[in-house]
Amino acid sequence: MTIQVTRSFEASPERVFDAWLDPQKAGQWLFATPSGQMVRVEIDARVGGSFVFTDRRDGEDVDHVGEYLEIDRARRLVFHFRVPKFSAQNTRVSIDIVPEGSGCHLTLTHDDVLPEYASGSQAGWTGILNKLAEFLKEPLY
Amino acid sequence: MNNLDHILIALADPTRRAILQRLSAGEARVTELAHPFAISLNSVSKHIRMLERAHLVHRRRAGREHLLSLNAAPLDHAAAWMESQRLLWNSRLNALDAMLKTEDKKKKGRSR
Repeated sequence: MTIQVTRSFEASPERVFDAWLDPQKAGQWLFATPSGQMVRVEIDARVGGSFVFTDRRDGEDVDHVGEYLEIDRARRLVFHFRVPKFSAQNTRVSIDIVPEGSGCHLTLTHDDVLPEYASGSQAGWTGILNKLAEFLKEPLY
Repeated sequence: MNNLDHILIALADPTRRAILQRLSAGEARVTELAHPFAISLNSVSKHIRMLERAHLVHRRRAGREHLLSLNAAPLDHAAAWMESQRLLWNSRLNALDAMLKTEDKKKKGRSR
């Protein structure tokens, strides 16, 4: 299963990219909630490095933790993350940035890699979301 | 694991999706479900158990027969979850855009 979101920014690819890895900037928007308070942002911005974002929501700390898998400045960033409070499942996020005029265009791809599935076949998640609705309306048999 | 994990795992396999598709056409016996697949009855039973664990399949006994039917409600749960993830990323990217625009305004303010 894959979720994809795209967005255009007026800011340069470098500024948009750096906003993901600069703790001071990332803490303002990534994993932050309007009513929550970001109380901790630790980012080890290297491949294999980890991160922790702690958002305090109604007095309760919610951690977002993960590791960086690919860092190609201003072009591509890939990381794993999980929210231990809700699930032990790691999900994978890829960000691809291409220049667009004086700004840039960002494509975010969120793949869910389930433990028993990670080493297995390639068939699977892609398209399930879009197919769920059709599937119930149009049985194959 | 919560039920959403069970649902997503259940949906991750092509055989299980095909079983669900068959059941969306109506109730069926286990042997009927196994028929189109080149796998053992035992293996089909394992797939069915995973679907039952996710509450996607309901089992009913009629005499000696076990009849299986689709319970589509968890699919809505999975679809809603995926939609919520998409909305979440959209709102995060909105916040990123707003932060960058605020930085631009501050920069302009300073250079004046």
